[in-house]
Amino acid sequence: MGPIITQLSETAIKLTGVTKAFAGHVAVNDLSLAIPRGSVFGLLGPNGAGKTTTLRMIMDILGVDAGAIEILGRPADRSTRDRIGYMPEERGLYPRMVVEEQLAFFATLKGVPRSEALRRVGPWLERVGLSAWRKRKLNELSKGMQQKVQFVATVLPDPEILILDEPLSGLDPVAADAMRETLLDLRRQGRTLVLSSHQMETVERLCDSIALIDRGRKLLDGPVREVKARHGKNTVVLAFDGDGAFLAALAGVQRVTDFGRYVEIRLAEGSDPQAILREAAARLRLSRFEIVEPSLHDIFVEEVTSHGVAAA
Amino acid sequence: MRRVYAVARREYLERVRSKAFLISTILGPTLLAGFMIAPILLTRQRGRPLQVAVLDESDALGADVSQSLARRRVAGQPRFVVEAAPEGPIEQARASLQERVVRGNLDGYLFLPKDALQRSAAEYYGRNVSNVMDLGLMDKAVEEALVSRRLSQEGLDPDRIRSLTRGVDLKKVRLTTRGAREDRGGSFILSLVLMMLLYTTLAVWGAAVMNGVIEEKTNRVVEVVVSSLSASRLFAGKLVGVGAAGLTQFVVWAACLAAISAAGAAGTGAVGALPELGPLLLVAFVLFFLLGYFLYGSMYASIGAAVNTTQEAQSLVFPVMMPLILSVVFYPMVLSAPDSRLSVVLSLVPFFAPLLMFLRMTAVSPPIWQVALSMLLMLATIAGITWAAARIYRVGILMYGKRPTFPEIIRWVGRP
Repeated sequence: MGPIITQLSETAIKLTGVTKAFAGHVAVNDLSLAIPRGSVFGLLGPNGAGKTTTLRMIMDILGVDAGAIEILGRPADRSTRDRIGYMPEERGLYPRMVVEEQLAFFATLKGVPRSEALRRVGPWLERVGLSAWRKRKLNELSKGMQQKVQFVATVLPDPEILILDEPLSGLDPVAADAMRETLLDLRRQGRTLVLSSHQMETVERLCDSIALIDRGRKLLDGPVREVKARHGKNTVVLAFDGDGAFLAALAGVQRVTDFGRYVEIRLAEGSDPQAILREAAARLRLSRFEIVEPSLHDIFVEEVTSHGVAAA
Repeated sequence: MRRVYAVARREYLERVRSKAFLISTILGPTLLAGFMIAPILLTRQRGRPLQVAVLDESDALGADVSQSLARRRVAGQPRFVVEAAPEGPIEQARASLQERVVRGNLDGYLFLPKDALQRSAAEYYGRNVSNVMDLGLMDKAVEEALVSRRLSQEGLDPDRIRSLTRGVDLKKVRLTTRGAREDRGGSFILSLVLMMLLYTTLAVWGAAVMNGVIEEKTNRVVEVVVSSLSASRLFAGKLVGVGAAGLTQFVVWAACLAAISAAGAAGTGAVGALPELGPLLLVAFVLFFLLGYFLYGSMYASIGAAVNTTQEAQSLVFPVMMPLILSVVFYPMVLSAPDSRLSVVLSLVPFFAPLLMFLRMTAVSPPIWQVALSMLLMLATIAGITWAAARIYRVGILMYGKRPTFPEIIRWVGRP
């Protein structure tokens, strides 16, 4: 266990006071992050929070206006980005290029010799079930298959760090599960994964630690467990038949978030979940009652509101 | 460098393997051959000889004129088949000839009036009186017969007359530092063809780079690529790769052109000589294409980066195309006075040089320092333009949404 712990304590990516503005609009504002090596890190926030801009700066596609970025202990530059695989949110491959050629091309861009890249193509395509499509042009593949090719293109150069922007978007449930499995596999091999998403619950289960950002600023960060613990076990999950509109008006309820099949009720400090249960049971047909840690979604909303209030 | 090569290789293969490339590479020379040989063949090829009759009212010139006409040859073939006019009164003969011409079994008839010799006048009635070449030939035939007759009336021997009045064959010989060679109008055609070829290929391959950039932007692949190598290297690889494909096609065309002109030169006499495309000119041809390509291609590429669609590019392409179009506008002026001060100055301007300096090289042999200077100036301009274009490219490829204006694009050059 010893070596793993020391490895974990190392930082894969470190941002210090990074700022980036476009034509008067500040996209990323004084952002500092430390992404531990060998972990799965979630960069979470709504659309327009500055996630993609942050990732582009890490990849040296955009320069920083202020601050510094370190990759594996060295300032970010051309050589460090060879060690990072980046899959942008807007996927892109060459439509008229043969799958195999395509994969070899992107690997050579990362400094992998062509012959070596071609050797790696086979096992990876087999793994994602596309062996039969190796010699086909990309535009002959379905959208889902193209997504897989895109992922293979990202991992083929064998990068130490993987940055995946919205890794699960556009995948059907089966493919999404397979993707989660693959990502956990990569993590088991000691790689660092950075997952960026605006759908917090989808990546929440994968992440060891997270950072929540909004409008270019960091709201909070840290290991998921700590973040949740900080926000206390003061959330009730309730599934029921009937009209639950009255729940929000109950004493001791701070906020109700409707997830469709169930609601999450955030309790005010010091209020008793049992009181809620009694009230709900009296008026609804309950099928589930659980006291849980708050979801990241809930924490995010809470943070945004409190910061918003603080800012106002 | 290996990555720039990888980009260039990809660009090259994608283009060279496309059907469009194959077709245009083969079709080009075919069209070229047609374009170069057709005018020459057209001037030679005038169909069957003309069936004409000679109606002689003077009663003295008919035989001479008929013989003179029968002697006219084009490409080794007699041009006129002369038949005797019908016997009988002139008016009757005239009417019958007229009818035959109208009906179409006679091309025309030549009428020699009574005082033809005194007035030096004759009349030709035919279905087609706009064929300048044939009528010129006829004119000359009649003139020769009349002049011979007058001279023989002065007591000269017919053989002596023919030798004394032999026409002048004015040979046009182009003198260059590499020696002299005869020119029968092909030189002009060659200059035009070569220049238009440069114009077309520069426009086509410039647009090819631009569309490649737009395509990469549209299918979003560009962000994946620039996460692995810098935008300026991608730009360089792209420019080189597409350029290599262009060069491949261009060299194939140039080689075909050289072959066509060599064949033309060898076939002197029969097909008519085409000026030979000498090795030096051929090298210059390829060099000017390359320089022009990098100059215009990099500008096209930066436009591609600034826009989202090909349609949006149209209005921005115009300023870039302008010098290329102007070169073609200036071409008659430069060709008519290739060594005038204006021509020299224009051909030194880097944006005009690929077409105009080369044009001058086909027409005269400009001093070597001028050619070298134009190339140097172009290289310097290319260095500046590609630098600026790469900077525009770098900003543009990640920009989506509203199309920037021209001044905005220029401002991108200064961005950190």
